[in-house]
Amino acid sequence: MSSSTIDYGKTKTFLIDTTKCTGCRGCQVACKQWNQLKGEKTTFFTGEGYQNPPQMSEFTFTRVKFKDYEKHGQNEFAFYKEMCMHCNDPACASVCPVGAFHKTPEGPVIYNAKKCIGCRFCMVACPFGVPKYEWSKAFPLVKKCTGCYSRVKNGLHPACATACPTAITYGSRDEMLKEAEKRMAAKPDRYFKVVYGKEEAGGTSVLYLTQQPLDELGFRPVTKRPLPSYTWQALRFVPGIFLTVGGTLSLVTWFQHRKDRVRREEEERNSRKEGNQ
Amino acid sequence: MTAARIVMNEIKGYHRFIKFLMVLVGGAALASAVRFIFGLGATTNLNDLYPWGLWISFDVVTAVPLAAGAFTIGIVAHVFHIKKLEPLVRPAIVTGFLGYSLVCVGLLLDLGQPQRGPYVLFNWNVHSPMFEVSMCVMAYTTVLFLEFLHPVSERFGWHIPLRLLRTLELPFAILAAMISTLHQSTLGTFFLIAVDKLHNLWYNPLLPLQFWLSAIFTGLSIVIFEASLVHKYMGQPDESDLLATLTKIIPWIMGVYMLVKVYALASLSHGPLFDRPVLTALFAVEVIVGLLIPFGMFLTKRIRTDKQMQLRAASFVIAGLVLNRFNVSMFAMHQPGQPAYFPNFIESVVTIGIIAAHILFFVLVAKYFPIFEHHPEATDYTIPDRFRKIEKHGHGVASEA
Repeated sequence: MSSSTIDYGKTKTFLIDTTKCTGCRGCQVACKQWNQLKGEKTTFFTGEGYQNPPQMSEFTFTRVKFKDYEKHGQNEFAFYKEMCMHCNDPACASVCPVGAFHKTPEGPVIYNAKKCIGCRFCMVACPFGVPKYEWSKAFPLVKKCTGCYSRVKNGLHPACATACPTAITYGSRDEMLKEAEKRMAAKPDRYFKVVYGKEEAGGTSVLYLTQQPLDELGFRPVTKRPLPSYTWQALRFVPGIFLTVGGTLSLVTWFQHRKDRVRREEEERNSRKEGNQ
Repeated sequence: MTAARIVMNEIKGYHRFIKFLMVLVGGAALASAVRFIFGLGATTNLNDLYPWGLWISFDVVTAVPLAAGAFTIGIVAHVFHIKKLEPLVRPAIVTGFLGYSLVCVGLLLDLGQPQRGPYVLFNWNVHSPMFEVSMCVMAYTTVLFLEFLHPVSERFGWHIPLRLLRTLELPFAILAAMISTLHQSTLGTFFLIAVDKLHNLWYNPLLPLQFWLSAIFTGLSIVIFEASLVHKYMGQPDESDLLATLTKIIPWIMGVYMLVKVYALASLSHGPLFDRPVLTALFAVEVIVGLLIPFGMFLTKRIRTDKQMQLRAASFVIAGLVLNRFNVSMFAMHQPGQPAYFPNFIESVVTIGIIAAHILFFVLVAKYFPIFEHHPEATDYTIPDRFRKIEKHGHGVASEA
């Protein structure tokens, strides 16, 4: 949890302009290739729409969701690339009992499989439903988008951002936010007036520009507050409560047993007196 | 060979119900073996949408408050020094020890990498509620084990450990309360991170406080429940006079809990409360059956004398707590539009086996160890003065340490 020392403005960030996405799914393929992920056997139309595979999984770290809608009486498609949002203050990193997740200063939130005990709290905690589990294995681990940390560390762009012909821009968070504002100002009709990821979950390293309202595209409404603060507001009292309970009960014990002690001493005194007489 | 025959003969003499429990436990052991061979995905209905199912909801989140009898009765009897409640302490500690041991079993079954469990001891993340709970559960299982050694050393006449254990009785009672306060409340903290997932009827920042308070009054109810059943089915003395003392304490804590719950619902919830009929119904059942009815029962005078009513009220409280924990950890975590999660056969067999194991081990421990023969007038439980001898005083003029 070194996230407090990170300057988020400088972290590498994806700007995904869904209005420019052609739905080619080059990002899906590039991701599979770079991460050496197995293909999944799927059937068409099993999910909520045309997309395939039907959801992200242990074998699929990113995929393009298809959304059909009507515009000027014409059927249109909108595309939305689903992936790990690489939160500034990630919930997964905060709830992991062994600290298997951390936010790198470069931007990606990465997972250390060697530490993981398999409790799956990260999956419960993630507001975007990103970490997936190796349900196919007897001793499973968590799988999720790595933000191509191994590439980013060496000055390359992530595989999906490299493969994308149109929609993904990659750079520092400050620059990407500026770019997003610039595009929205330049073509006000084209964009829905919210940058998803600017404030969601306290800010993320993946930013989205859309044409449709976010919920129509299937973006989850997520709190603007960093999620770890929700649990920390209770957990920070732990040492204090521990000592208070111990101290209070010790005092109560001393007091309650005192009556006994006093009575016994009195009895002893009385019996001694009786003995003297 | 002879040892095995002695064991077999011993088992043959057991009641049919005990043998039935043994079959259930055996079935669960088999099911766990299947889980470890084929993996969680193949043997449970868990998936990426429902990473936590029956094993977390019942075997961990519900079983921990159900095992709270040990620390609550420990505070009441030892810290508040209500000595006449002493006979209730040992059965509660045995129940607690069994409960926590089985929580550990449930956790190991549910973990993807159970062999890495001890990693928690070396890779600290103090921001994680799970870290806190695992540390506490490990620590408290150890404390309960040491407390459980008390009847064991009496049984085998280990004098030096007994002397040590009797000296530590009070510190252990306080330590148990300190550790339990932390992890009982932190189980509530777990779900504070699920801010956009847990429904508003249960989600509020005071969830940890509610978990802690409900663990206390349920812990005391469990003591009533267990003492009543042990009287009914195991031929132990009727303790309803002692239980009456507990029925005076419980409604106070329930009252505070209800005030906290009402306050949290009224002014700390963030969104619509009654927008989902199923959850509203579950909430109503939880509050009416688990809180209002037993609260009313505990407030009536008759409960001081009527052991039937004590048992019924305690059962209502326990049922309410079980429903509450399931609501928080399973039902209200369900998102509208998603397919529902139902535990499958193997998951259910394991959980039933864990419940059966609890009853089975309790009966067996009660059979072979002195956990009921602990009345102040019959047994001297002060610290033995000499290392080789447990002194038996005739008239309870025990010299206290």
